[in-house]
Amino acid sequence: MEELSKKELVLKQAKLAINFGVGVIAFASIWVFQFTIFPDFFKPEPTIVEFIPDSTEPESVSYFELDSADIENGIHVPTGLIVDDGCQDVMVTCGACHSLDLVTQNRATRDGWKEIIVWMQETQKLWDLGEKEVVILDYLAKNYAPENTGRRKNIENIEWYNL
Amino acid sequence: MSKKDSRRTFLSKSAIATLAAIVGSKVVFAENFPKELEPVGLQPDEVKVKIPGKSDQLKILNSKPLSAETPPHLLDDEVTPAHLMFVRNNGIPPEEVDVQKWTLTIDGESVVKPMTFGIKELMDNFDHYSYNLTIECGGNGRAEFNPPAKGNQWGLGGVACTKWTGVRLKDVLNKVGIKDDAVYIGYYGADTHLSGDPDKVVISRGVPIKKALEDETLIAWAMNDQAIPVMNGYPLRLVCGGWPASTSGKWLTRISVRDKEHDGPKMEGQSYRVPKFPVPPGTKVPDDQMKIIESMPVKSIITYPKTGAIIPKGGSFEVRGHAWAGDLKVKKMEISIDFGVTWKTCELKDPINRLAWQRWKINVKLPEFGYYEIWARATDEKGVAQPMVLPGWNPKGYLNNASHRIGVRQG
Ligand code: HEC
Repeated sequence: MEELSKKELVLKQAKLAINFGVGVIAFASIWVFQFTIFPDFFKPEPTIVEFIPDSTEPESVSYFELDSADIENGIHVPTGLIVDDGCQDVMVTCGACHSLDLVTQNRATRDGWKEIIVWMQETQKLWDLGEKEVVILDYLAKNYAPENTGRRKNIENIEWYNL
Repeated sequence: MSKKDSRRTFLSKSAIATLAAIVGSKVVFAENFPKELEPVGLQPDEVKVKIPGKSDQLKILNSKPLSAETPPHLLDDEVTPAHLMFVRNNGIPPEEVDVQKWTLTIDGESVVKPMTFGIKELMDNFDHYSYNLTIECGGNGRAEFNPPAKGNQWGLGGVACTKWTGVRLKDVLNKVGIKDDAVYIGYYGADTHLSGDPDKVVISRGVPIKKALEDETLIAWAMNDQAIPVMNGYPLRLVCGGWPASTSGKWLTRISVRDKEHDGPKMEGQSYRVPKFPVPPGTKVPDDQMKIIESMPVKSIITYPKTGAIIPKGGSFEVRGHAWAGDLKVKKMEISIDFGVTWKTCELKDPINRLAWQRWKINVKLPEFGYYEIWARATDEKGVAQPMVLPGWNPKGYLNNASHRIGVRQG
């Protein structure tokens, strides 16, 4: 009696395990099947989500990171850009046609930068920057703002030598 | 990882395909990013850009399109050596140049019949002329404007005076035949637009027919008795001395004789234009209130000594440089060592030919121990002199001819 019930118990457990396994496989195949047909079914709307650098979200592409070895005193040395929010967007967008020297040389207000962008769109085939325009303008207006140099500056950075 | 290695990794990631993958469309707005473009901005320009045919002492303002200026103390020669002449590119220079096949077409509404010449035909069919011609970028001195003006931030060195050899544009135009209604000429060159669009003209400017027909306006194939440097327009260049350098079309392939003001890219809008009347600094000036820059203004540079000289007590030294005035001659050159309180007249030479810069020099002795600035001021034949502070502000920062200053000390 005791033996029988022990046997039955083992058998019951085995059945349970098999059923569970089959269930998992079935569910998994359905999942895989739907995934190939409707890959985005269970995912959030692909709207503009801010990138979190080490997000584990499966489809988040790895963020375009600056190599810390390239940064000196807050400047990204290879491009000369000031490291700040939007730096990567400026690097990629504004470095497409000309070098970023044109960015780092110039100073303008937000309106001034906007005018430069509009001028390039009207005459130099710059494309619509979409939602990136705000990010780029914020970056430029903050980091490359004009300073008042008066009617003429002092002579600066003289390197003295004996004549 | 060493700096160099990390930079290489950075570079290897620069192809746009890879970028689109690593950055993602959300960042780049990739659907609008033209396929043929490589983001040049990602190239390390701190790894010294080498400009073909140019001294590495030129200061690079922009590595693409290349723009580089000459520090004034390197402009000391009467004839600027080829490797020291500044570069201002607006697009990408032609890569393969076949001199044998290179042609120049003269066309436009106001020619009798369009004609095309090979370089050898130009050499064989017309008289040759050589002139020393001062060429200055219209935006030379832009860096000082306040509020700042957009574009390359030129200091003093967007100027040179080299010897140009070629044929007179007027001889070629006479051969082709121009109609009475001709008012302007416009050039076209073989450089290509930065956007990668092969049909987009980079820059096409020109001059009124009167300037085009001057003796010194050349179609040149040589500079300083050598082929023109690649970055200065090899193998053929239009040269209009005394006017903004952008009127001297590089990599010249076509000249159109127009029955109206030429309307190519960078002739219109705000490019190479200044307000028709003086405006307060920072004014937004509508396009229709701007006028085209013609002759460049009177200006001078100190080429010796280099700024920063310490002079021994009681010592005297020569101060020298060049002066020029666009279409005009310079009639007087002065310097001040006391911040403009008193001025001394310098010895001033005549130009080698019309539109060449003029050499000047003076011996200077500093009165006592201390810090001095040498200020230079040229006056043209109409009595117009250089200002000590910035001249009239204009939206694009052209024509800054404020006096050149250097710092010196007596020890
Ligand atoms: C589609 C090509 C293209 C892209 C992309 C581009 N530019 Fe430009 N930009 C140009 C061209 C062409 C010029 C004129 C270059 C010259 O004259 O040397 C220019 C000139 C400039 C100038 C100088 C303006 C002047 O009046 O001379 C600035 C400043 C500038 N760009 C900033 C930017 C910034 C900021 C971005 C990113 C938002 C950007 N550019 C992206 C094509 C582009």
